[in-house]
Amino acid sequence: MSDLNLYLYVGAFLFVCGVICMATKRNGIGVLMGVELVLNGANVNFVAFSRYSELKLDGQVFAVFVIVLAAAEAAVALAIALNFYNNHLTIDVDRGNKLKG
Amino acid sequence: MTPEFLLSAIIFLPSLGALILSFLDSKAVDAFRIGTLVVTAVTFGLTLMLWSQFSYDEPGIQMLVEADWVKTWNIYYRLGVDGISLPLVVLTGLVSMLAAIASWSINKQHKGYFILFLLLETGMMGVFLALDFFLFFVFWEVMLLPMYFLIGIWGGPRKEYAAIKFFLYTLVGGVLMLVAMLMFYFNTGGTTDSFNLIELAKVASGTSETLTQTLSPNMQITAFILLFIGFAIKLPAFPVHTWLPDAHVEAPTPISMILAGVLLKLGGYGIIRVAFPLCPYGAAYAAYALVAIGVISIIYGAFAALAQTDFKRLVAYSSVSHMGYVLIGLGVWKIVEATGETQNSDMWLMGINGAMFQMIAHGISSAGMFFMVGVIYDRVHHRDLNKFGGLMGRMPLYSGLAAGLFFAGLGLPGLCGFIGEIFVVLSTWNFNPTLAIVAASGVILTAGYILWALQRVYLGPEYRGPHAEDIKPIEAREATVGVILLALAIVFGVFPGILFNVMEHSTAELVEGMKLGYEQAASQVSTTLQAMR
Amino acid sequence: MSGDSLSKWLMIAWLLPLLGFVVEIFFGYYSRNPRRSKAAAWFAVGCIGTGFICSVIAFTQWCSMTGAFDGESGWLAARVHAHDADDNDADDNDADDNDADDNDAEHHDGHSGHDDGEAKGHDSDDSSPSDAAGAAEAPAEEEAASDEAAVLREGGHLLAVAEDEGDDHSHGHDGPKGEFSGVIYTLGTFGGITLSMDYYIDSLTLVMFMMVTLIATCIHLFAMGYMSDELTDDYVDHFAHTADGKHVHRPGRFYRFFAFLSLFCFAMLGLVLAGNIFQVFVFWELVGICSFLLIGFYTERKTASNAANKAFIMNRVGDFGFLIGLMVLLTYFGTFRFGDTKVDGEVVEQGLFSMVTRDATGNFVRDDITGEVLLTDTHGHALTEGGENRTIPYMLLVVAGLGVFAGCVGKSAQFPLQTWLPDAMEGPTPVSALVHSATMVAAGVYLTGRFFPMFVQEVLLTIAYIGCITLFMAATIAVVVTDIKKVLAYSTISQLGYMMLGLGVFGWGAGLFHLVTHAFFKSLMFLCSGSVIHGCHHEQEMPKMGGLLKKMPITAITMLVGVCAIAGFPLFLGLHFSGFHSKDAIVASALAFVNANPTHFLLFFLPLLTAGITAFYMFRLWFYTFWGKPRDQHLHDHAHESPWIMTVPLLILAPFAWLCAFGGEQGYLYVLITGNDPSHLHDGVQAVTTGGLTLPGHEAVHAVHSQAGWLAMIAAFSGALLAYLLYGVGIVDLDRMKAQLSKVHGFLLNKWHFDELYDSLFMKPAHKVAAFCAWFDKAVFDNIVHGFAKVGIVIAQWDRVFDEKVVDGFVNLLGDSTKSIGNSLKVVQTGRLRQYVMFIVLGVVTLFAFVFTTFPS
Repeated sequence: MSDLNLYLYVGAFLFVCGVICMATKRNGIGVLMGVELVLNGANVNFVAFSRYSELKLDGQVFAVFVIVLAAAEAAVALAIALNFYNNHLTIDVDRGNKLKG
Repeated sequence: MTPEFLLSAIIFLPSLGALILSFLDSKAVDAFRIGTLVVTAVTFGLTLMLWSQFSYDEPGIQMLVEADWVKTWNIYYRLGVDGISLPLVVLTGLVSMLAAIASWSINKQHKGYFILFLLLETGMMGVFLALDFFLFFVFWEVMLLPMYFLIGIWGGPRKEYAAIKFFLYTLVGGVLMLVAMLMFYFNTGGTTDSFNLIELAKVASGTSETLTQTLSPNMQITAFILLFIGFAIKLPAFPVHTWLPDAHVEAPTPISMILAGVLLKLGGYGIIRVAFPLCPYGAAYAAYALVAIGVISIIYGAFAALAQTDFKRLVAYSSVSHMGYVLIGLGVWKIVEATGETQNSDMWLMGINGAMFQMIAHGISSAGMFFMVGVIYDRVHHRDLNKFGGLMGRMPLYSGLAAGLFFAGLGLPGLCGFIGEIFVVLSTWNFNPTLAIVAASGVILTAGYILWALQRVYLGPEYRGPHAEDIKPIEAREATVGVILLALAIVFGVFPGILFNVMEHSTAELVEGMKLGYEQAASQVSTTLQAMR
Repeated sequence: MSGDSLSKWLMIAWLLPLLGFVVEIFFGYYSRNPRRSKAAAWFAVGCIGTGFICSVIAFTQWCSMTGAFDGESGWLAARVHAHDADDNDADDNDADDNDADDNDAEHHDGHSGHDDGEAKGHDSDDSSPSDAAGAAEAPAEEEAASDEAAVLREGGHLLAVAEDEGDDHSHGHDGPKGEFSGVIYTLGTFGGITLSMDYYIDSLTLVMFMMVTLIATCIHLFAMGYMSDELTDDYVDHFAHTADGKHVHRPGRFYRFFAFLSLFCFAMLGLVLAGNIFQVFVFWELVGICSFLLIGFYTERKTASNAANKAFIMNRVGDFGFLIGLMVLLTYFGTFRFGDTKVDGEVVEQGLFSMVTRDATGNFVRDDITGEVLLTDTHGHALTEGGENRTIPYMLLVVAGLGVFAGCVGKSAQFPLQTWLPDAMEGPTPVSALVHSATMVAAGVYLTGRFFPMFVQEVLLTIAYIGCITLFMAATIAVVVTDIKKVLAYSTISQLGYMMLGLGVFGWGAGLFHLVTHAFFKSLMFLCSGSVIHGCHHEQEMPKMGGLLKKMPITAITMLVGVCAIAGFPLFLGLHFSGFHSKDAIVASALAFVNANPTHFLLFFLPLLTAGITAFYMFRLWFYTFWGKPRDQHLHDHAHESPWIMTVPLLILAPFAWLCAFGGEQGYLYVLITGNDPSHLHDGVQAVTTGGLTLPGHEAVHAVHSQAGWLAMIAAFSGALLAYLLYGVGIVDLDRMKAQLSKVHGFLLNKWHFDELYDSLFMKPAHKVAAFCAWFDKAVFDNIVHGFAKVGIVIAQWDRVFDEKVVDGFVNLLGDSTKSIGNSLKVVQTGRLRQYVMFIVLGVVTLFAFVFTTFPS
């Protein structure tokens, strides 16, 4: 069990790093990187659980899905960032507050 | 042309005409006039064809048409004609045609007027020919709307008021009829014949083969009262007559003609076709009230007419008075309480025939009277009786025709009004001498108001009102209408047999059926009473 | 010859004037010069004249069919008393009257009086008398005629025909002789009730036909002259004014006048021909409307149209009673026909007259059990229905009789409906002559006579009293009236009263006798007055006339004939004036009646007194107009005798007025009229007591005949003498007399105040009630309807409030609250990405904290 906990700590650390990155970075790319970290933290958990529990390959398949999704998301997000830049000449996410209620 | 097709053609030809007219350019005024005249004339021709195919000796319904309509609710498209409806159908055809001729004087929105006019004729024909209660009701309401607009748009200064009043009154009647209709439908078990007026009449007299259940005597009374109020409004009888003077005064001349000539007859026809045969026990129960209301209508209408200063209003009240005779003639059904038999039923038969005749006669004479008022109104644009006079010298032919038609209304022998009135009055003594005497006293009042009106309008040294320069002799078109009506008034007044031959078998059958129906219901009542003891 | 052709001839006579009417009324539209052409008038004269000829032909046929005048043994000829007329004088006359006390039937004399051709004009010429005597019983020829007639077919029915004389009835009443009836066409059949147009022909019908057509022909001719001022395109009516005070100008209406006259003749003849009481009513009304049209002929005159309305409405009041009578009759008898309907000689439907039977005492036969009047068949046997005898309550028979008589009261201008007739003088004078003296007003008397078999004693007494009151009242008014036509109008009313009185006191023959004689002399007098008016340029006031005898001798002389006739003078050139005979007959009947019923003494004394008054006012009229000095020189200078077309009718009528009653009650006219006397008291019955009333038989009348005749004659002579003294000689100053009697004079001049009475009693209340009804309609019914409408509107307003406030309010509340919640939440929506992440984190942490604390394990 202690092996699993180790992996979970790593995952949690990665996740927390990602979250902090997302919450603090004003640069859109930085936020994207935070997202990647969060996803990868989750991936670590998936893989770990698939190794130490009844999940077997399912967890790993999920991880693969998440990687694929992350790739797609990165592509879309980068396109957004580019468009954002085109409109605002910056990628500071705080400038994008059009959805303010 | 098969008889079955003929009936539908009579009803829907005017609608078809209306449809065609609706495609015409609204500026083609003469096209509308002539088109309407042609359509109504052809319709009238069809009704005459119907008469020629009618068999006098057959008492029941002839040329029965039956087709599915709303099968779920057992509503059928049933048409037919018998001796009671035939004269009224022909009258409708005639009056519509003459009203179409009289419609030349309409001077605005011709397209709408003539389309509505033709739709109105469809509704009227439908009511007279329908033998399915629901269909009857539908046509009854179909007729209402065109009339509303015809009064409300082409009427006089208070047209909106008059139109609404007419509409609401008639609608109330319609609603009561609807209630009664549903009573019949559900109390006869809601079968295929539950809207069939012929079968409903048969089951009331106990001779139906298809229907088994019917209304109890008490329910018959309720149903009769509902139906009667509905029809009395249309008739119109005292005290629900007040829509009539307003509607007549405001309506344009041709519409007044139709209103007086045909629409009022729907009330009488409804009583004789629906209320009477369907509820014989109720009819016998209410006979006294019917006659009393009729008598009051005669006297009250005559007195009210005497006091009018508006020429058209006077004629309108004379209608109230004259239609009172219809009610009396229908109601003089005297039953010997002890035996439940009808006393001197020939007298009642005479009363019914007289009432039917009176309807036709009034259709001719009052349509004529309204037309005559319209002719002078078109010229001088007022109807104040105190501002006429001397027309006999200015418009001799017109005055002669008018005097003839007013005499017909007065009940002068040799003219149609006399036969109906006198036969009805003669049949009344057997029912109740007091009412008979009061009814007979109407002849004095009638003479009074009509002669006084004639004196004020046609006699005297000179015309005393405005627009004296516009008084021109009657046109050929106007004279045609007057001559036709007066000629018919004379023909029917001298040879009433023409009409009596048509209706005598049907009315005799009605009387027999109702006598049976009453005896059946009365025996039911007495059994119930015995059981209670 | 047959009853068929008999009825055909009469129908031709009846319908020709209708044809005339139709042609003449359209004349104006087809003629090139309608206003100036007399063609319409000639056509009208042709129609009515042909009608007269047809009537005469029908009469001759009737005579030969029934054998009425077959020799002196014909059943009527036998009653014509031989009369040495040529050298008769007053004394002889009385002797004759005494002779006549014996039964008529016993009088067969050598010459039946048909050598008096000039006196009896149409009668004797046509009655084809033969000389040989025959058996008194029904002659074979008559039998044959009846049989032949019995198989006639008309309108699909085999008809009733002359009942033969020998048919003896159990109750001793003879069936009507020479009576023909049949159906013209059917109006309607309702079960057992059939209403039809019938004809009923008996000797009275024929006499009336000939009388009406003859008088009408004369009057038509007269009118061609009298109305000739209408032959213009610009007729100036001097009695009608426009608002600016000018006379009314209008085109002449010559042809229209004759059209109306023709229509009137048609209606009158139809009334006489009518075979049932309903049909009588039909033509009764038609006659009334013709009267309306003719009285109101000068439509421009307000007085004329008022008078026309008054006449028609007054008549309608009477007709209201008539209608009640009809209702009773139809309800209880089930038929209106006078005569029986027969098929192959078998009675298939009883007529009214045979349904009530009088027993030997003159009472109606009653049912033993109920005491109601029994309905019987022709032979007096009870009719049954459903095993029970058909009866009618006696009271209802009284009602029916009074009802029908009420109609007669209206038409004959009897008290209390007499006021219309004087006003009716607004019509042109020929109309007054034809319609308001000779024929239409006589229709009431005719019907009373025709319907006599149905009258019970109470009704007869009423008739007698009504007649009595009327004759006296009208005569008193006539004394003071100064309009020449109105004098004649009141005298007409008075004479009609005599006729009614005659009928009422059971002098059936006397009443109708007077009807015919009066028709002749009154039409004559009216035409004379017309001639005077025409000659004096439409001046009708007698005080402006005077001394016209020389200016218009023919008119004056013929008028004098009429005056003598109406006054009841006997004897002129050895022949009595017609009025003498007929009035004598009435007064004698009245006297006999009063002898038998002393309580009703007025029924004799008033007529007797009035006979004097009549003579007085008639001679007053004559002296006023024709005698003495001219009172208005201008008028007198311009007066002239009328043209020949107006005087010829006078000259035709004068002999009739003088001589038509030739022979008195043994003369042709009386015998012919009474051929079907329905009073059944002619032979053998001395008197009948019934219900406290004694009806005198024929003998009783004869017994007092000479007495009555003397009294009446004395009254007439004294009246005439008084008139001569007052107006002819002028022994007293009339104006002073007027002043002294101003109250009476005023009372009479105002017609006993009947007009005011009726005005305040009926006219004003009627208008008040009418106004009330109209107000009631507007104020009550309309307000009720408006009330309903208002209630509807109020409910609708509440409905609107409810809809807007409650229903809409709830829905709005939902929306509003949602919106405000959203508003308050939008603060959180900053759009800042990082903030959102922070929220997520915080949320997740909170969630975790919550989960772990809640579920610690």
